Amino acid sequence: MLDIIFAELVVAAIITFFVREKLAAIIAFFISLLPLLALLDWASNYGFNLINLGIENHMKIYLAGVTLHLAITPLSWFFALMILPLFPVIMLYSYSFFKENDGFFALMLLSLLATFGILLSRDMLSLFLFWEMMSWSSFLLVYRSKDKNAIMSYLIFSVFAAFAILFGIIILWHENSSLLLSDILNISGKLGFVAIASIITGFAVKAVIMPLHAWAPFVYSKCDEPFVAFLSGGLSKLGYYGIFLFLFSLKGVDILQNYMTNVSWNYLLAVFGALSAFFATLIAILQDDLRKLLAYSSIGQLGYIAIGFGIGTPLAITGALFQAFNHAFFKAVLFLAAGIVAYRTGKWKISELGGLAYKMPFTFMATLFAIFALAAIPITSGFASKWLLYEAAIQQKYVFIAPIMLIAGVGAFLYSFRILYGVFLGENRHDSVEEAPKSMIAALFILVLPLIIFVVFPGYMLDLMKPALEAAGIESIAHTKFAIETSLAKYNSIAVLITLMVAMIPALVIYKARKHRVTSFEDNYLAGEPYELHKPAMHAANNYYKPLKKVLLPYLEPGATYYFEKIYNGIKCVSNAVRRIYTGYVQDYAIYVVLFLLFVMGWLIWI
Amino acid sequence: MDMIGIAIKITILAAYAIIGTCTGLLFMGVGRKIVARVHNRVGPPFYQNFIDVAKLLSKKTNISHGWIFDLALLFSISGILLTLLFLPIGGVQLLSMDGDAFLVLYLLAIPSLGFALGAGASGNPNAGVGVMRALVMMLSYELPFVITLIALMIYYDTTSLATIVRMQSINGIKSWAITMPPFMIAAFAADMALQGMLMEQPFDIPVAPHEIASGPMVEFGGKYLGSLMLYKAIALVAETTLFVDLFLGGGVVAHGNFAFIINFIVWLALIFLLFVLSILIAASFPRFRIEQAFGFYWKYEAIIAAISLIWVYIMVIK
Repeated sequence: MLDIIFAELVVAAIITFFVREKLAAIIAFFISLLPLLALLDWASNYGFNLINLGIENHMKIYLAGVTLHLAITPLSWFFALMILPLFPVIMLYSYSFFKENDGFFALMLLSLLATFGILLSRDMLSLFLFWEMMSWSSFLLVYRSKDKNAIMSYLIFSVFAAFAILFGIIILWHENSSLLLSDILNISGKLGFVAIASIITGFAVKAVIMPLHAWAPFVYSKCDEPFVAFLSGGLSKLGYYGIFLFLFSLKGVDILQNYMTNVSWNYLLAVFGALSAFFATLIAILQDDLRKLLAYSSIGQLGYIAIGFGIGTPLAITGALFQAFNHAFFKAVLFLAAGIVAYRTGKWKISELGGLAYKMPFTFMATLFAIFALAAIPITSGFASKWLLYEAAIQQKYVFIAPIMLIAGVGAFLYSFRILYGVFLGENRHDSVEEAPKSMIAALFILVLPLIIFVVFPGYMLDLMKPALEAAGIESIAHTKFAIETSLAKYNSIAVLITLMVAMIPALVIYKARKHRVTSFEDNYLAGEPYELHKPAMHAANNYYKPLKKVLLPYLEPGATYYFEKIYNGIKCVSNAVRRIYTGYVQDYAIYVVLFLLFVMGWLIWI
Repeated sequence: MDMIGIAIKITILAAYAIIGTCTGLLFMGVGRKIVARVHNRVGPPFYQNFIDVAKLLSKKTNISHGWIFDLALLFSISGILLTLLFLPIGGVQLLSMDGDAFLVLYLLAIPSLGFALGAGASGNPNAGVGVMRALVMMLSYELPFVITLIALMIYYDTTSLATIVRMQSINGIKSWAITMPPFMIAAFAADMALQGMLMEQPFDIPVAPHEIASGPMVEFGGKYLGSLMLYKAIALVAETTLFVDLFLGGGVVAHGNFAFIINFIVWLALIFLLFVLSILIAASFPRFRIEQAFGFYWKYEAIIAAISLIWVYIMVIK
C-alpha cells in the first residue's frame, strides 16, 4: 500500500504543477487525504495500540543498490496523527488563498511525501534521504518569498542541520555497522556522545530551539501563510520527532549520561528550551509585525517541548508530546487566521489593523479559541499539556526551569492580547472588509476541533500516546477519561468545565435581567461628534507595550542574532582574504602552479 | 456519587459562592471606611458597596458595544466564581481536590481575559491603554509570586492547595508555613505580589482612580460596571484566600466535629487582616509608574523571592 501512496503523491505533485489553480487545490486536497486514510487503515488492522507491529511489517524499497526500510511504528503513528491532518486543511485553505498556481501545491505535496517518508523510515539512510527531500521542497517554498534574508538563513541553517545529522549518522554507522533503527545502538564513550549530540543539534535547527532559531523569524514572517502554518505546526514537530527517536527510542539519553556521569546533558536541553520559552516570549511581546509576533511565539511554545524532553521523566515526556500536539493545531490556526487578515486587508502591521472582530466573527472566534489554547486557559486542551510540564518540573525540583516556564506562560497572555486587541478589537478601520471565504473558515474550525475534544477528554490523548511511550520503554501516567493524576496533584478537566457552565448561570441572570442597547463606540467616546472633524487617535495599538519596551529592550538587544552576525562577518572577512588569490592574471596562476609543484617535489624529497 | 450527595455538594458550593461575594462587598465597604479615617474623612457607610452594586445592576439604561463587549460580564463573574470554588476555604476543600495551584493561577486569568476582551471591544483607546497597564502589571507581580509558589511546592512536594493546607494544619499554628524563616521572606514577597494582584496602591496604575480618564472600565456602566464590582469583590476574597492557603495554613486551627465553624472564623479574620494590611499600605504610599512597578517586582521582589527559593531548595536537598 505504501508504494501506491508514494507513487500517487509523486504523480499528483507533477499534475498539480501544470493544471489551473482551483483544480490543483482540489486534486491536492484529495491526494493529501490518502496518508491519513492509510493511518486509519493501520489503526483498524492493528488496533489503536499498534504494539505488535514488528519487523515483518517492513516495506523495502530497493534504490540504486541500497535498501530503504519503511514501516509504521507507534511513535510515528502518533506524530503522523499530529502532522498529517494539517495538509488537507492547508490545501482546503489554499483553495481560496492563491490567485494563481505557481507550484505551491506541487511543492506542498512533495513536502507531504517527504514528511510521510520521514515518519515511516526505519533506517537512518532513508530518514536522511527523506529529511533532505523535505528540506529541499520546503526550501523551494521559502524561495517563493523572494526575501533574501529568509532564503539565505533557511538555506544555511538547513545545510548545517543536514551536515550535523549526516555526521552523527556516519559515526553511528561506522561503529554499529547497521543503519536500522530497530537495532539498539551499540556505541558509547566520546564517539557516541559526539554522534548523538550532533544529531540532536541537527534536529534542533528544525525544532527551533534557541540559539539555533535565528532563521525562523525571517522565514515565518516572509513566506506564504499556508506554508508557514505547516512549517510551524508540522515541520517543527518533525524536528522533535527526530530528537525523541534518537534520545528515547534509541536510548541516546543513556549514551549521553554514560559519557560524563556527573553532568546532566538532558538538563542542558531543558535549559535551552526554557531560555527559548522565556526570551522568545519577551521578544514576541514587543513585536509589531503580526507574523513576527507569531514566529517568536512559536519559538517560545516549542521551547516547552524541549523542556519536556530535557526533563525526561515520563510525566515530562507525556506533557511534551501533548504540547506538541496542541501546538500543531493552535499555531496552524493562528498563522492561517493571520493569512486571512492579510488576504482581506493586505496589512501585516498590528498598529495598522483593528476592529476586524465584528466584520469577521468566525475568524475571530477561531482565533480566540486558538489563543485560549496558546495561553493555556483551562477551557482548551492547551492547559493540560502545560500543566503536565509544570508538574514534571516541580516533581524533579527544577527550581531554575519552573519559574521561567511559568513566567513565560504569563508573558503569553501579553502577546495574545496584542493580537486580539490590535487586530480584532478597538477601532474599526476597514469598513469594506468581509468575512473570509467559506473554505478558509472551514479550515480554521477543523483545526480547532481537536483542541475542544481533548479538553473534555484529556485521558484520550494520553491513551493515544501510550503505545509510542511504551515502545520507548516509558511508562504512561495514571489517568481516567477526564482526569490526569500525578504524584503531586490531580487535574480533573470535566470538573472545571461543568463548574464553569454552572457558574455561568448567575452571570447570565445578571446579563438577562436588564436590557441593553448596542451603540457604536463613536457615539460614546466622541459624544456624537463627527469623526472626520478631528480624526482623533482611536486605536491605542501603536507601540502598545511602550513602558515594557523601555525597560526590556536594553537587555534583549544583544541576542543570538548578534553572535550569528559576528560569525557571518568573520566568514566574510576570511572569504574576502581567500578571494584575493584569484587575481585574474594568468601569470599569477602560473606562479601558483609552479609553487605547488615545487612544494610537492620538496615534500617528496623530504620523505 | 448518588443524587443526594451531588445536591448537597452543589448547595455547599453555592453557599460558599454567596458567602464569598458578600464578604468581598463588605470588605470593600470597610476598606473605604478605613481609608477615609486614614485620610481624616468620615467616609461612606460600610454597606455602601452593597448599595452601589444593587443600584448598578438595576439600572434601566445599559450601553453595550456588541457581543464581545458582553463577554466581559459573562466571563468575569463565572470565571472568578470558578476560581473561588477551586480554593480550600477555611479547611473546607470544595473542589480543590480536582485541581491545584497551577489551575487556580490559570483560572484567575479567565475573568481578566474576559474583562480585557470587553474593554478592547469598547473601542475606547483609554481602555486599551488601561488593559496594557493591567497586563504589564500582571507580568510584573507574577514573577515573585510564582517563585514563592514554587518554593512552597518543592518544600511540601505537592502542587495541590488542599494538600498544602492539610500539611500545614497538622500542628495548628505551629506548622503554618509562615513560621519557618525561609517562608517568612517568601511571605513578604508574596504579600507584595498580592498588593499588585489586588491592584491597590502603589500598584494601582492600571485603574488609576482620580488621575486620568483611562483604565479598562472607562466604557462600562450599568449592569456591566455592577458585574465588574462583583468581580472585584470576589477576586479580593479569592486572592487573599490563596495567600492564606499558601502561608497561613488556610486558617485551619481546630480539628473535630464543629471545627469548621472555628476554622471559618479564623479564615475570615485572616483574610480581613490581609486586606486591612493592603488597604493601609495603599493609603500611605503614592502610586508607581508602570515601569517602576515592573522594575520593583523583577529586581527587588524577585531577588527576595529567589533567596527564599534557594534557601528552601537547600533545605529540601539535605
